[in-house]
Amino acid sequence: MKNKSMFSPLKAWKYLVKEPVTIPKKMVFDEPREASDNYRGFHVNDWDKCVGCGTCGEICPTNAITMLPIEGLVESDGHKPERPAIDYGRCSFCALCVDICTSDSLAMSKEYIHISKDADTFYFLPDSKGIHQVEFDIAYNRDEVSELLDLNRYEIEEIPHEGRNQSFMELIKGYSKEMALAEASRCVECGVCTFTCPAHMNIPEYIRSVWQGDLKEGADWLYETNPLSNVCGRICTHKCETACVLGQRGEPVAIRWLKRYIVDNTPEGDFVEAATAKVSRQINGRVGIIGSGPAGLSCGYYLRTMGYEVDIYEEKELPGGVIRYGAPEYRLPEASVKADIDNIEKSGVKFITGTKVGRDISLEAMKNKYDAVFSASGYWIPKVLKIDNKDHPGIRFSPHFLAEARDFTRGMGPMPQFHEDVIVIGGGDVSFDVARTLNRFQRMKNGRANVRFIARKPEEHLAASREEVVEAKEEGVVYHLDRSPTAVLLDEKGTIYGVEVALCETVMDESGRAKTVCSEEKEIIYGTEVYMAVGNDPDFVYFPEAMLSRLKIDRNKIAVNQQGQVEGFPWLFAGGDIVRGPDIISAVADGHKAAVGIDEYLMSLK
Amino acid sequence: MNSMNKLVEELKGRFTLLEVLLPDQQQLIVDIDQMHLHALLSHLKATGFRQLSLLTAVDWIEENTFQLVYIVFNWDTGIHVLVRTKLPRDKAVFRTITGIYPGAQYYERDVHEFFGVAFEGNVMSFKPLFLELWDELPPMRKDFDPEAYSREKFPERPYVPQFVPKVEVVE
Amino acid sequence: MKEVKLFLGPQHPGMHGNYSAHMYVEGDMINKSYALPGMLHRGFEKLMERRHWMGNLALIPRICVIEPDPNEMVYAMSIEKLAGIEVPERAHWIRMIILELARLAANLMAIGGIGAPVGLYTSVYWGVADRDLVLDIFEKITGARVYHMYIVPGGVRKDLPEGIEEEILGLLDYIEARLPEFYDLVMRSPIFQTRTRDNILLPEEVVWELGVTGIGMRSAVNKEYDIRKVKPYARYDQVAFSLPYGPYSDAFTRVDFKYVEMAQSISIIRQSIEKMPKEGPVRARIATGSALRWRVPPGMVYSCVESARGEYGYLVVSDGREMPYRIAVRGSSYPQGLLGVEKYLPGHRIDDASLWMDTMGVCAPEIDR
Repeated sequence: MKNKSMFSPLKAWKYLVKEPVTIPKKMVFDEPREASDNYRGFHVNDWDKCVGCGTCGEICPTNAITMLPIEGLVESDGHKPERPAIDYGRCSFCALCVDICTSDSLAMSKEYIHISKDADTFYFLPDSKGIHQVEFDIAYNRDEVSELLDLNRYEIEEIPHEGRNQSFMELIKGYSKEMALAEASRCVECGVCTFTCPAHMNIPEYIRSVWQGDLKEGADWLYETNPLSNVCGRICTHKCETACVLGQRGEPVAIRWLKRYIVDNTPEGDFVEAATAKVSRQINGRVGIIGSGPAGLSCGYYLRTMGYEVDIYEEKELPGGVIRYGAPEYRLPEASVKADIDNIEKSGVKFITGTKVGRDISLEAMKNKYDAVFSASGYWIPKVLKIDNKDHPGIRFSPHFLAEARDFTRGMGPMPQFHEDVIVIGGGDVSFDVARTLNRFQRMKNGRANVRFIARKPEEHLAASREEVVEAKEEGVVYHLDRSPTAVLLDEKGTIYGVEVALCETVMDESGRAKTVCSEEKEIIYGTEVYMAVGNDPDFVYFPEAMLSRLKIDRNKIAVNQQGQVEGFPWLFAGGDIVRGPDIISAVADGHKAAVGIDEYLMSLK
Repeated sequence: MNSMNKLVEELKGRFTLLEVLLPDQQQLIVDIDQMHLHALLSHLKATGFRQLSLLTAVDWIEENTFQLVYIVFNWDTGIHVLVRTKLPRDKAVFRTITGIYPGAQYYERDVHEFFGVAFEGNVMSFKPLFLELWDELPPMRKDFDPEAYSREKFPERPYVPQFVPKVEVVE
Repeated sequence: MKEVKLFLGPQHPGMHGNYSAHMYVEGDMINKSYALPGMLHRGFEKLMERRHWMGNLALIPRICVIEPDPNEMVYAMSIEKLAGIEVPERAHWIRMIILELARLAANLMAIGGIGAPVGLYTSVYWGVADRDLVLDIFEKITGARVYHMYIVPGGVRKDLPEGIEEEILGLLDYIEARLPEFYDLVMRSPIFQTRTRDNILLPEEVVWELGVTGIGMRSAVNKEYDIRKVKPYARYDQVAFSLPYGPYSDAFTRVDFKYVEMAQSISIIRQSIEKMPKEGPVRARIATGSALRWRVPPGMVYSCVESARGEYGYLVVSDGREMPYRIAVRGSSYPQGLLGVEKYLPGHRIDDASLWMDTMGVCAPEIDR
């Protein structure tokens, strides 16, 4: 106590004129202090951006977030009609929901005062205004450091670009285990993809299987809704990836490649078991199927799992339809097709090949032989562009050419004949198949290639998938885009020497739709052979005249009900291209739906 | 680190260690059987590891064992030694170390309460500590499900969303 | 005289958190006492086994209210060791700034709060008010005042906001100027001196017996035993600081040392701001994929840091999945808060019980977990 002078109490006097350290209570409410720019206050959610994926609720460590269905919102591709509601009795204001928000819609504001005796008022559905519908500045928001998603895809291994245009080797090698796990770990399991997938595949579930390293379980999930996973793992149109919520801010999960990883890496025995385990031995009835394409195969397989006896009629030598006679080897190797079809055969489906319905057996006969018939005869008659000299015998068409090419690559036929300077007219995926196949054939045979590709639209508006457009160009296909063919040009001897095209322009109209306008200005593209790949039509010759007149057919599509049942003919179901237009995964879905429909129909008869 | 190597060599020479791990430069994990654990701890205490930093347990339910972890610390070298031993889960009885580290008394009581491991020789350890009127499995055991417990013991409060707006714009 | 049973806490101004000591007193002497924790038990260790590695971020700071950041730090350090991740250089320095600010905040609360058990309430208001200024800085950096959730596995959650360095330096100057005022108010107060000098002794044997760490240990064993010195983490090996130590630990010394340590914290922060890289990454990813699927390689590791009350550690066990297998918390004040209360609180007077709790650094939530 000696260290205190007798004057030291005087020090206390200076505090008389100092501001007090305390704050009057009145100020707390009347002039609340503004929170910092980074403050984790109450949530705000931009409903226009929110896709209802529920990832915020998944990460929430306190289970404070419930996804509420909102009346008036409609489920659509990549959007769930739900919005997060937050229980402030549980919320710990950790902002992990903000950091992981897939759609950039959640944030936190500077608002932080809510006092009420009613506990229910602490359960709150954030929108762009706060809990009291008063706008506050946005405070805490995610940045690239606090990001909790993995926005970029993991690279899939491909064969080297050099020389890939000289063989039919498959371009994509597939994921390594490490890469597959890394890619699978990006999934947030929201499941919006399942809605968009025509077959409603259990995508989050099988990605989880990959992530957990249980491929057998993954294969089981695949066969739940799709018996053609080998095929779809390679050439599916992957609408699911367009829906994937990770695509909102980054790259969607490579769902197709993960599916492929499962089929490529599941031990064969497990894979066969996944396919056959569900097959029932009991015979409920007999069903005949027209066409062994994806829809027919899928319908046959699922009918087998329900215990029906199934015969599939195929005109060609091998079952598979478009997957056997359409897609080229470098995208869909024969071994993959065979694996899927073999499994379907192992499930007990019987294939009657080389037999065309309408030629070798009539539809009437099938109706009598079977309890129900499923028609999935596909589109096999090529469309012809209405241009001058369109009927010239030198013009070739995609279905025939691609079938020949497939037969060659699987060693069942010679290399098709072709010229040295060829022109391909198209714009969709199939036309790229033709062009890239021709390009390969020419290089294999002549060491050089001259494939000219004509389409009406510019690159970004082509119907084909992006990778086709990029890869075909890399491989050496020459593009003549924004050009509409008007005539096949013949010399005096009647042989083709080129195609006359009109120059076109594609512009956006007011509603944002692309519109193509062609001018009078013309130009000639030289080549001695023309391949047309502008779409196909169905062949309905097997329908008897009396029936055909009663069928409702609109733009080549037969009208059916939800389950694929043809109106007016309860015993007849239809699916695939002839109902929906060309898309493999939709065909698989149709087949599955029809199988369920057939089962219900036949059960109702008993 | 030199003192670390010396320590490892010395311990290996004196005791039969089941496993030796080095998670970082100043941390050593040694596995030892139940019989020799006390001798090892005494030795460590006599050689500078004067502080018991933590005593806890891990429930390896799939192996049907409890693993006791004794963390001792030498303030002069900055080395932590994690001495571990395993007990069968169905006969979770061990001997106290309060004779070596008196500070273990409450840690043992803690482990007894949360894992059900009994420490013979520590009478106090059998008394409850944190949990009042606990009538369930020791809660840190892996087979104790806290969610089921709270569902059973506490009423669920239903969510009554009265605030859900009607959205007019239909896309 | 008749022995009376008296409860100190759980609701008592001299008690730190909802925690209670049952005392058997005769006159004003405590004959027997034992601690009764559990009022704050929230089952954190169990809850952490059932949450994602990242989700635990919301739980860990809540284990200790006064100084939450060491929790985040040891958790992050453990995962980084298990996963073998290099933390970016700048993040190390930011972490040091955060940890030292947290220590300052905790010590401000302590040197202010010590007024309560001796009847000097002004210092309590001062301490809380000045701590609030530190919390303002935290709010600007992390978005929250108390539970920052800022030190994350792999680094820190966000980079520092622009211009915050000047604000921190300004605050340090202010606190530095305030410390003598606190000292005048509390330490030089005759009442305080009478109450604390040669009172509540902590002999060296007791330190070793219980496992007391931190200021209590340093003031008793006459060695600079501090985790920051003995096994430096972050970049503590690259800053100059020295901690007070001595051979005689009474209540006064232990409070007195806090002032010296605060000056050291201020110095560490100043050095950190000067030495840290001015830009660069502040966070490394701990695993691929979304946070829902982060996995940590299997293993067991113990990590510890020096909190304001001593060695603070987590034992983290991973079995390679997306959630921890086991996390055990070593609260710094566990030894003195339980065994200490039972063995060494008796023999003191009732009015010193709160002072005992305070200068021994008992923090109920970290005992209860």
